Amino acid sequence: MTTSFETVAGLRSKLAAGDVSSVELTRDAFKRISDLNPELNAVISSNEERAINAATRADEARREGHGSPLLGIPMLHKDIFCTQGLPTTCASKMLADFVAPYDATVVTRLAQAGMVTLGKCNMDEFAMGSSNETSHFGACKNPWDTSRVPGGSSGGSASAVAAGLAPLATGTDTGGSIRQPAALCGITGLKPTYGRVSRYGMIAFASSMDQAGPMARTAEDCALVLEAMAGADPLDSTCADQPVPYYASHLTDTIEGMRVGVPKEFFSSDLNADVAAAIQASLAELEHMGAKLVEVSLPSTSLGVSTYYIIAPAEASANLSRYDGVRYGYRCENPTDLQDLYLRSRSEGFGDEVKRRILVGAFTLSAASYDQYFMKAQQVRRLIAQEYEDVLSQVDVIAGPSAPNTAFVLNDTSKSITDMYMEDVFTIGANLAGLPAMSVPAGLVGGLPVGMQLIGRRFGEVDILKLAHQFQLRTTWHSLTPSMEDSH
Amino acid sequence: MVVSRFNPDLAGSTVTQTTTVRDVADLARLTIADSDVGKVTEEFNQTLALFEALTTVSTDSVEPMVNPCMESQPLRADSVATLVDREGLMQNAPASEQNYFLVPRVID
Repeated sequence: MTTSFETVAGLRSKLAAGDVSSVELTRDAFKRISDLNPELNAVISSNEERAINAATRADEARREGHGSPLLGIPMLHKDIFCTQGLPTTCASKMLADFVAPYDATVVTRLAQAGMVTLGKCNMDEFAMGSSNETSHFGACKNPWDTSRVPGGSSGGSASAVAAGLAPLATGTDTGGSIRQPAALCGITGLKPTYGRVSRYGMIAFASSMDQAGPMARTAEDCALVLEAMAGADPLDSTCADQPVPYYASHLTDTIEGMRVGVPKEFFSSDLNADVAAAIQASLAELEHMGAKLVEVSLPSTSLGVSTYYIIAPAEASANLSRYDGVRYGYRCENPTDLQDLYLRSRSEGFGDEVKRRILVGAFTLSAASYDQYFMKAQQVRRLIAQEYEDVLSQVDVIAGPSAPNTAFVLNDTSKSITDMYMEDVFTIGANLAGLPAMSVPAGLVGGLPVGMQLIGRRFGEVDILKLAHQFQLRTTWHSLTPSMEDSH
Repeated sequence: MVVSRFNPDLAGSTVTQTTTVRDVADLARLTIADSDVGKVTEEFNQTLALFEALTTVSTDSVEPMVNPCMESQPLRADSVATLVDREGLMQNAPASEQNYFLVPRVID
């Protein structure tokens, strides 16, 4: 039985019917990883014996009558989540040998739901990047065209799901790191509301924006997995004490008359014309489904990039000060004194993009620059968040493109650093404002996937999930798969 | 030469002097090789140029937004608990002795 491109919901049915066992699914997944990963580099560590043991326990639990919706389904974690007994590297030389002494809350909850962890996914180093090219373990490739990037920072997770290595992978999103790679790889990815999912054990990049979420084939799968991931956590005081809805049971709630705001700024010159046409066609589909399209304005959209690239590096500079070569992580050889230990451990352990952002953060947080840059950016952040709040008081959901382009080629030297930062122009706003947002497959341009972004109100995941689910009932973009196996 | 660290009143700041990029690197406990100083300075200035757009925005009396948590943050009971034992925390230490982290001598 071929299950490589089966959904979480489909596997759940097959497992419940006894058509397949978790051990069989797990063995099949490792076979596929072994066949395809040498080219993709989507998975950077795995442990088959441990996974088979977990799958065996899941099969036993099922025989004993346990029927958790996710029981026995294989999955991958982005290598930013601490996993006890498995390497947790954040794709950095700094943590290349780090094995966490505890599990992240997300890891604990999905394991308690019975999911089987196959391994850990490649990513941009410390989640800093939009192409997965900054990984210490080498770039990850896009299965739709392996000369192209999968996006980032959760590029390994997106590539793995798109290539059928697993039906689900976790991701994290600080400025678009779930949605942009989901768009570029043709899968469905959800960044929940800030505070919806615990950040405990998730290696910190920019703490006021980091949020974990599911990356899968469908909105239905995202709903099933979010239910298991979300909810208050005594180990994370920024995790909201709000009840978790049964997301999957709301997927077919009516969308008749739902007001969908389309920001005119999302269709600016930053957006590739063919991508724009694909998104417009998808918006027309939403209208056919009964939603009402409303033109809205988010005038500060272009300011989001400047604001984000001050705040995120500033928070990163503070968060990454913990990597000093003393308690864990990389330590340089033969330090002459403590200063030398700090300087060389950090300079040798971090990659170029991470160092670039730490430098910018140290600069904007320094006493003489603080008001001019960091304080100013926090003020503009409030203005941007207020714009989103105002628009979302008039409409139920905001819709537009997830990324300005399709997947670009690896090692594209024509792209400057700031060109790369502009990849996040449409996704950053939801992080600055703390809103839930997702990317849904919405077409192909030149054989490469395009993603439509849906942004909801705070804790309004139900609205974007049901709109996405019903869009997927009427379209087939999410069912398309790359043809990698032709070469295997 | 325009160096905003030493003159915050100057808009459109750039870092153009080798010593200044090194100064920022010192704050961040990073070193920059001589051969990389030019490239790092150029990239740093490209990034600062991106920030200039914010100077056009009026933010008088706007409260800075530190975090998107609107609700009060739930706090757990202030009670002692062991999440990870000492051995677990020490297992990744680059150098240790008798359950203490070892660093180069700091007092002669």
